Order: sequence, then C-alpha cells, then structure tokens
Amino acid sequence: MSPEIFFQIIVNGLFTGGIYALVAIGLTLIYGVLVIVNFAHGEFLMLGIYVAFLGYSLFGVDPYLIIPIAFVLIFGLGALIQRGLVQRVLDAHPLNQIILLVGVGMLLVGLVQFFFSAEPKAIHVPYETAVISAFGLRFAIARLVAFFASMAISFFLYLFLHYTRTGKAIRAVSQSRDAARLMGINVTFIYYLTFGIGAAITAVAGALLAPNHRMIPTMGQSYSVIAFVVVVLGTMGNFIGAFLGGLIIGVVEAFAGFYLGGDVKIIASMLIFILILLFRPAGLFGRKRA
Amino acid sequence: MTAENSKNPSNGPVRNWFRGVLLDWDRTQMLICFLLVGLLALAPLFIHSTYYLGILILAAIYAFIGISWNIVAGFTGQLLIAQIIFLGIGAYTTIVLFNYYLVSPWVGLLIAGLVAGLFGIVVALITLRYGLKVDYFALFTIALMVALRTLFLKWKFVGGAVGMWFRLTEPSFDKMIFADKEPYLYIALGLVVIGLLVQYRIYRSKMGKYFLAIREDEDAAAALGVNTSLYKTLAVVIGAAMAGVGGGFYVMYVTFIEPPQVFNLGLNVEIVMAGPIIGGLGSLAGPLVGALLNKPFAEIMRGALTEGRSGSSLIVYGAFLVLTIMFMPRGVTGVLHTIYCWIIRRFTSEEPGEDQNGAA
Amino acid sequence: MALLEVTGITKRFGGLVAVNDLSLSLEKGQIIGLIGPNGAGKTTAFNMISGFYKPDEGDITFKGKIISGLRPDVVCKLGLTRTFQVVKPFPQLSVRDNVMVGAYNRTNNRRESRQKAEDIIEFLGMQDVVDMTASSLSVAYRKRLEVAKALATDPKIILLDEAMAGLRPVETDNMIDLVRQVSKQGIALLLVEHVMRVIMSLAERIVVIHHGEKIAEGEPQDICQDKAVIDAYLGEVEIDVKG
Repeated sequence: MSPEIFFQIIVNGLFTGGIYALVAIGLTLIYGVLVIVNFAHGEFLMLGIYVAFLGYSLFGVDPYLIIPIAFVLIFGLGALIQRGLVQRVLDAHPLNQIILLVGVGMLLVGLVQFFFSAEPKAIHVPYETAVISAFGLRFAIARLVAFFASMAISFFLYLFLHYTRTGKAIRAVSQSRDAARLMGINVTFIYYLTFGIGAAITAVAGALLAPNHRMIPTMGQSYSVIAFVVVVLGTMGNFIGAFLGGLIIGVVEAFAGFYLGGDVKIIASMLIFILILLFRPAGLFGRKRA
Repeated sequence: MTAENSKNPSNGPVRNWFRGVLLDWDRTQMLICFLLVGLLALAPLFIHSTYYLGILILAAIYAFIGISWNIVAGFTGQLLIAQIIFLGIGAYTTIVLFNYYLVSPWVGLLIAGLVAGLFGIVVALITLRYGLKVDYFALFTIALMVALRTLFLKWKFVGGAVGMWFRLTEPSFDKMIFADKEPYLYIALGLVVIGLLVQYRIYRSKMGKYFLAIREDEDAAAALGVNTSLYKTLAVVIGAAMAGVGGGFYVMYVTFIEPPQVFNLGLNVEIVMAGPIIGGLGSLAGPLVGALLNKPFAEIMRGALTEGRSGSSLIVYGAFLVLTIMFMPRGVTGVLHTIYCWIIRRFTSEEPGEDQNGAA
Repeated sequence: MALLEVTGITKRFGGLVAVNDLSLSLEKGQIIGLIGPNGAGKTTAFNMISGFYKPDEGDITFKGKIISGLRPDVVCKLGLTRTFQVVKPFPQLSVRDNVMVGAYNRTNNRRESRQKAEDIIEFLGMQDVVDMTASSLSVAYRKRLEVAKALATDPKIILLDEAMAGLRPVETDNMIDLVRQVSKQGIALLLVEHVMRVIMSLAERIVVIHHGEKIAEGEPQDICQDKAVIDAYLGEVEIDVKG
C-alpha cells in the first residue's frame, strides 16, 4: 500500500472519527451522569440531520449555519424527554430503562418516517464536491469543515465541563450523586441539562454530516451501535476516552472499509467491541475490571 | 374453607375445580390463555380474509417467541436484548436444511431448536466466564446480532445479501407447505400451547423458583444454595431453543429470509420484546396477551388509521412501549391481576393469589 | 475437630487489609458472638466463610472438609448458611415463595418444599403474612424472613449478620427468643451483633475483632472487663451482663 493511500485512509478515518467522537461524547456524558445507556442515542443524530434537511430545503440555510438551531431544538427535546420520561425510571430495573429508551427511539423514527417518508433524502450544497489537495492527499471541503467543527465543539464542551460552574456541577454529579446533592447542587436540573446537552451534541454531529449524506429515518441505529463501541472502548463516562475512541474507531473503520468493503466494515468495530467487552470491559481508561 | 365445603350441599367436583383454578392466579392466567387460544382456533369459522388470518398467525408466532424471551428476561431478569439472534439461527437452519438437504421442516424445526440452543450455551458461557453484567450483557447481545448480520451478508452458502427463498413446491403436509392459511394457524397455535405448558411447568417447578430468585437477588439466591451460573445458563438455553423453533416456523411461513430482515433490532422489538412487555414481563399470560394486543393493533393502525402511511406501526410500538413502562410496568396482566384481586376479595372470603411480578 | 474451623484467614483489598490472620472455631450447637467496631472486618469474615470471598491466606474447614474458595451455593448445600446485614429478601415474591427457595436446597419436590416452608413460617410466627409480597413487610418481619430463608436450607450452621439491627426493644426480645429456639434445634450459630444485650444473653463465647484482627476471645463476662476490648469498642459504658 502506498504512503498516499495509507495517509488518505487515515485522514478519511479521522474525518469520520470526528463525528463519532461527538456522538460518543454525548452518549458518555449521559451515561456518566445518569448512569443509563441511551438506547435512543442514534435517533438524535438522525433528528439533527433532518433538521438540517428542513433548514436547507425550506429556507435555503446552509447546514453548518443550522447547527445552533439544531442544538437548541434537540437540547429542548432531550431535556423534555428526560423530564417527562427518563426521570421516572432512573431508579427502576435496567430492563425498564432500556425498553423505555428503545420505545422513545422507535417513536422518533416512526414520527420522522411519518412526516418525511422512508425514502432516502439528501441535500446538495454547492460546495459538496469541492476538494483541497495538499501533501498529495485530497480533503473534501465539507468533511474538512465538519472535522474542524467537531474538534472545536469537543474542545469547547471540554472547557465548559472543566471551567464553568455548571460544567463542574455536571462532573460532580457524575462522580457522586449524593455528594453533589449535599453540596447544594440541584441534581434533577443537572439531569435535564445533561440529557439535553448529550442529545444536542449528537444532533450537531448529524447536522455536520448533512451535506450530501444519505438520510433515512433508520440511519440512527448504526450510529447508536458505533457509539456504544466507542463509549465502552473509551471507558463509560470518560470524556477524553469517548473523544479518542471516536477517532480510533473512525480510523479502524476506514481501514476495514478499504480491505473488506463498505458493507462489512462494521465487523471490525464489532470484533473490537466484543474483545473489549470480554477482556477489558472497563475500557482504555478504566481499571482492568469494570 | 373446609367449613364452607361441608355447609354447602351443591359442592361438586366442578365447583371444586373452579375453586382450584380461580383462587390461584397462576392457574387463572393459564385459563385465560387457553380461552384465548380457543378463540383463535375458532377464528377461521368467522374470519375468511387471508389478510386478517395472516395477522393472527403472526400474532401467534410472536406469542411463542415472546414466551421464549419471557423465560429468560422475565423469569431470570437477564438483559438478553437481542433474542432475535436465536430466531435467526433457527430460521436459517430450517431453510437451509430444507432447500439443500430436503429435510422435512417438521424435523427441521427440532434441529433448529437444537442448533439455537447450542448457540445459547455458547453465549451463556461466554457471558458467565467474562462476567458480563446488566448493560454490558445487553450490548454484547446487540454486538453479536450485528456481527451475525454481517457474517450472513457475506456467506454465500446461505444466500448472502440476496437471502434465501423457500423452495416452494406443491402443498404437502410433510413439507409444511399449505395452500390455505388455516393449517399455519393451527400449527402456530400448537406451538403456543406447547410454549404455554412448558412455561407453566417451569414456573411452578424448583427451576422456576430459582429463576425468579436469581432475578430478584442473585447474591441472596446463591446464599440459599442456588447455583446461579447453572440456572442462568439453563434459562438462556431454553429460551434460545424455543426461539430457534419459533424462527424455523417463522421462516416456513414467510418463505423468505435475508440478514438485514432478521438480524434487526426493529424486528427484535416487534417480535421478541413488545408482546411480553405490554402483556406483562415475567407473568404467565403476558406474552400471549401482549402479542394479541400488539400485532393486530399495529396492523390496524398501519392500515386503517393512517392509510398505510409509513412509520405508523413504529409509532404504535414505540408509544406502546413508552406508555407501558411509564404507566403499566406490570403490563396488561398486572392490570388484570388487580381486577382479579378485587373480584376475589369482593365475592369470596379468600385471599387472592399473589402476582409474582408486582412492582414495589 | 470442631464443626467449623477458621484458621488464619486474611483478606486484602488493594492496600487495605480487611481481615488479618483471623482464627476461630465453632462446635456443634454452640453460639458464638462476633463483635467489634464498624469496619472491623466482621462481614468480610462472614463473606469468606460463606464463600462470597476467597481468603488470600488461611483455610476454612467445615465438617472436616476445606470449604475456603468454594461457591456460596456449594457451601450452603454442605450445610452452612448466612444471612445478610442489610436484609435481602426476594422483593416481589411472596413470603412463602421466599422461604421455598431456601427449602428447595434439600428437595426437588414442590410439595415438600412448600410444606417445609410453611412449617418454618409457622415456627417463626409469620403465618399471617405468608401470602404477602416480601417488599410489603415491616422491618421486623423482614428480619424474621431472613432467618426463615436460612432455616429452610436445613443448615448445621447459620451465620447471622446483625439480625437485630433496627429492631425495637420488644422486637429484639422476640428475636432473641427465636434465636434461642433455633439453637435448640442443634444448629450452631455465629452471630455478628452491635446490640450488646443480645450478645450477652445468647453467646456462650465471644470473639472480638478490631481492624481485622482478633483482639480478645472468651466468655461474655471476661470480655466485658477486658481492657483492650473496652478501649477499642465497648467504652466505659456499663453493661448489664445478666441480660
């Protein structure tokens, strides 16, 4: 394999990985604070991309400019779901939590399918085929922008979590719900906030994917599965782990896609997933045994 | 109770039988189930549309698969989410045996159960050996499902991405090919009856109590002499084998299989999970009641209310699941139990039998 | 050879030594009390004896067989059952079914198991709640249920972990009576308790643990006056030995 192809694959992998990182950060944030696995997570990405679709097809707004709107909208939806539904099952049997979220996911897919139909859609922005060539590699503008955007968003979220009062409150709750409560933190409010942010970040990832990407209502499910892999790989609840894990899985998938073909590349992630679950369930950043 | 007996002269065997059944919630559930099965068996007398009969057949299949999941997730509380794996394996086993080796599906069903059961052993042992608990177990089963889907997509022998069509010949009993819908309905109902009986026997036996104990508190169970690893494995294997048999019949009925169709979380929710949850996970009547509510309702929604608009059945299933978890965690059977208790208390001097799945 | 021989067991969790070189022995039908401050290692010792932890060092022998490292259910089958400090009922099951799980330890037959369960429930005075779900029981009844489940397994030894915690004085008296009756059936008991009145009235011998180590062992009256014990645990409070 020539060096150009090798690095091209890595670049493509990183670009995809940036998206995975955002999605995984959202999932790991929700898990770290609420201690539930959001089985409807991929659906928020799907919603993000459909918001971009609406924005573009109705108002002609570029997907990247839709991002703040997608963030706000899905943040609201996420907080609402948390407040109305998830809050009630936080102390229930895990099976109930899983089923509730699976049901919510199904509802979201069904609603989108109802209003938009199951037919694949796409938005075509003028710059979608624009490419920069440098160092013998080709960088699609759209994906390059998406990558830097995801890096920037991850960075700002990190700052938020570590240097603002609210962010620290979120981290406090993820470390100990009771201690946080005793410190006067309104834990329930933090729950709404966290679920909202987690969902919104994922929706942003969706909006970033929008240019020229095939959109169908069920597309969220495969992203859910990838998000699970990344989050477990990076240790559940660990921000940096989700970030790095996303990039790693993106690159792994790119190579798998190159060698095995697009429809089977998921098997590489599945293998990694199964190996991690068996031999290092605590992930890269956790102790040996979860 | 004895005093009442001797006072009442019209105290015959029939009355005693009723007392024996109706004062026992488990037996009452079984009675309800058999009544439902009986109703379904009589359905062809009143329903002639192949469309509606088809819905009933699918509902019955779903009930059988639901029972298989109920034994694992309902009785032992294990989060085996992707039970559809075993359905898929059973389905592929049956269709491959028939298409390539002309093995009669009747035999094929049994072999399907065996193969699926063996796979269940493997899954259970891996889970135990590596200590996959709760969420991790759930994710593991999902990963397996995706992995199997990918493998089957590439495996030419089983048709790969194209899938396999059932080699249809003229209708014949030993090939389980029938011209009308009715025979399929009766086979499906037969499976449901077998499933109900197996479920009931397990529930009343030592194994059943041990299953429930594991669900309620594994450590406490171990402290009382329960070999939790053994019984958890048993539950998974039994559930897997049943799902395999159900999968075999499923493929004989729909006559087509392909990986994305069967190794699919949406189908998993529809066939495996929705029924028992709505009906009442862990109860005896739950899977059947749930499947009968689910499938027909979803179909009607899809057809009538929304004129076949895409996504409506998903909305129905999703809403059902959400509403059930929020307002009826014990499912329809739980509600029935509450009514049952009220009736028993109101009209007799007895204490009604407890429902073993009461939410705290 | 004693019914239960615990020889020099040690348990470490990372850098913390929870139990250090602990030895004790229990004869048939004997009642021994295990006392010590919170965190002294009593429950850890119980966990090791009943099979929930494997000792890092030392051995545990029951009826002449080494049981250290065996699974909890195997230990139970051999005849040693434990209760839990924070009671662990099967919440959604009825009281009868709770006890039946224990009774199935010795039989596979439903009728036998049910009969035995009902006998034990009656022995413990819980007939009026036999059909209730465990989660709806009061604390006192839950504690009794814990004992009932253990009894149903037909053990030779029961490890009672703070069976009296959280009970009112009247309930405690009832429990003490109950424990005496259990002992009369020939079952040896190892009791962990904080309520001194209970230990003094029931235990024939007392073992005192502090920081995972045995600091004293002997008859109740001697233990009360042991300086090390007083410093570590009992304090200067007067204990009513007559109990």
